[in-house]
Amino acid sequence: MTNNKSDIIIAIFLLCFSGVMINDASNIRDLGFEGMKADAWPRVVLWLLVVMSSVMLGKSYLKFKTVSDRDNKNFSINLAKFKNALICFGMFMLFLSTLDYLGMLIGGILFVFGLLTLLGGFSHKLIVKHLLVSILSIGFMWMVFTFGLRVILPEGEILRVW
Amino acid sequence: MFDVILQAGASVLLDPVTLGLMGIGTLAGLLAGAIPGFTIAMGVILTLPFTFGMSPIQGLATMMGVFVGGFSGGLMSCMLTGIPGTPSSVATTFDGFPMVRSGKPGFALGLGLWSSFFGGMISAVILVALAPQLAFLGLEFGPWDYFSLIVFALTITVSLSGDNMIKGLIAGLLGLFAACVGEDEINGVARFAFGSDHIRQGFAFLPVLIGLFAFSQLLSDVEDSAKAKAPLMKNSAEAIRVEHRKAIATVLMNWINLIRSSFIGIFTGILPAAGGSISNILAYDQAKKASNNRNEFGKGAVNGIIAPEAANNATAGGALIMMMALGIPGDIVTAIMIGALMIHNIIPGPSFIQDEPLLAYGVFIAFFAAHFFMVGLQAFALRLFLLVTRIPMYILASVILAYCAIGVFALHNITFDIWVMFGFGVIGYFMRKLGFPLAPMILGVVLGKLAELNIARAIGISDDYSLFVTRPWSLFFLIMAIVSVLFPFYQNAKKDTVFTKMYVPISMILLALPLFLMGSPVRMVVGGILLSAGCYFIYKRSSILKTI
Repeated sequence: MTNNKSDIIIAIFLLCFSGVMINDASNIRDLGFEGMKADAWPRVVLWLLVVMSSVMLGKSYLKFKTVSDRDNKNFSINLAKFKNALICFGMFMLFLSTLDYLGMLIGGILFVFGLLTLLGGFSHKLIVKHLLVSILSIGFMWMVFTFGLRVILPEGEILRVW
Repeated sequence: MFDVILQAGASVLLDPVTLGLMGIGTLAGLLAGAIPGFTIAMGVILTLPFTFGMSPIQGLATMMGVFVGGFSGGLMSCMLTGIPGTPSSVATTFDGFPMVRSGKPGFALGLGLWSSFFGGMISAVILVALAPQLAFLGLEFGPWDYFSLIVFALTITVSLSGDNMIKGLIAGLLGLFAACVGEDEINGVARFAFGSDHIRQGFAFLPVLIGLFAFSQLLSDVEDSAKAKAPLMKNSAEAIRVEHRKAIATVLMNWINLIRSSFIGIFTGILPAAGGSISNILAYDQAKKASNNRNEFGKGAVNGIIAPEAANNATAGGALIMMMALGIPGDIVTAIMIGALMIHNIIPGPSFIQDEPLLAYGVFIAFFAAHFFMVGLQAFALRLFLLVTRIPMYILASVILAYCAIGVFALHNITFDIWVMFGFGVIGYFMRKLGFPLAPMILGVVLGKLAELNIARAIGISDDYSLFVTRPWSLFFLIMAIVSVLFPFYQNAKKDTVFTKMYVPISMILLALPLFLMGSPVRMVVGGILLSAGCYFIYKRSSILKTI
């Protein structure tokens, strides 16, 4: 996925990120004590990040200018390649957003079942298999944590009412 | 001291619960190491949540089992199917797989198993002997020296990033920045919280680590739909009877290779972030160079199996030396172990062995014992491994993603930690895709707070910044940092340049200087040896350069 063009974009992004954070560092309170201030270390790190990002930008730009046009045009973001990763992101976000309502047990089972079905396929046989895997795996782990390790996992509105 | 060792031994070896947990840990490690796409670090990460409810010694003994088992598990898949289970067993494939194909699978597995065992044992002895001594040295460190040591640890990680040195540096700095978010340790002032009470508390260390490493790895594993749906291994393998006696005799007959490879492993483990993935290849290369039958390498050479397997298990001992003695993680796994210790309110550092002798010696004993478990459980693990490899990756990845969420929640019982894991998982995934190495970032996260704390202490004690270069240990580490930053240039430079000829001798001379400043007779002798050797090499090489 990487080439000079992507490196240039990343370097610019990092410079912007560092700029925003350096700006925010000026909001860090000074308590007036002797010694190192709370904003000193982050500023050092961020300025070093600015320097390194600039070096990366410069190097990538120089390479970008020297390599052939064809090589530079080869860079494209193939979203299809990231389909599965994007599915995982989406499902995980959904799982986290609904955790307070569904709880870890129901939410976890639905998350694993949904992810398995989206990644693995929709045939009847597979759906049964995915359902079994999700119920057994999450059910087992939920029991281990709840009863074995005494960890109170998010219960969720549904189980609480029930 | 003997009392402490006995007590520690009893707490590990006479407690059936601890022994049982260690056995389970070793089995889990053997499996994690054997399954391609999984790593030892992932095995330790998945074990971690279960250790929260355990006593520190039980938790650490369990993780020690995973650690040792993981290094040995890789040999099963690489020998039986030709696919390395972990990066630390890549070199074992070169000769292990051909030996199995030539009809000696039991002997090949035995060689790998017993080389791992003996390599681990040698590193365990060095660990017990060296870690307390190194910790005594660590007690000499002031905040200036500690800060410079952290700088050295970070630079060496970056220099191991290969061609991506700039990206390695950026990754390390991003890790240091992530450690800055939240209340600072000195004044308690909120930083980069953007009004969020959760961010004000800072990012907990383990969710960040699990996100960066495990979450992003799982996403990479399911990227290719066809591969994700196929069983983990297409090549069939069957359970085999290991030829123990013949293998032990062969490994011991090749004792020079065994010891050399073990020491390569220990040394690589001591270097921050240089783990088994490097040591196994280095040891294989050295074994090949030292062998009289170089042509046999790649066709099932005995020494080609002994070297990488002894080295990768010895790496574990090396990594533990740094963790136990100085609180600096030798690799990602020990970084996670430091996090696990922190959960139990134990901060590893130079005084760790003195302050917590029972726990420290318990870890040493657990490391020894885990090797026996590893040998005993290999046959059972082999059968389990054959079962697990029939499962497609997408099933494993989906279930493990959910387990990660449960485990991370159990850390502090707050959902925000899962969001942190998710956020850093996304960052880690894209960093992988964009060619940024993750190890420097992980080390940055681990060492960031420590670096800030020590520089703040140093400035608090004295505003004389020259102390960073006038204190011998600090100077020593800063010189080491410069040497490690220049190392990739040395590797890539042409052979006959002045730089390549002079890099090593000048480094030796420069390192001799702080050793002289330390004043102790032993260190002055070491300094003298370094200085003489450096001058000798300069003399020899300058005459060669003149002739060129």
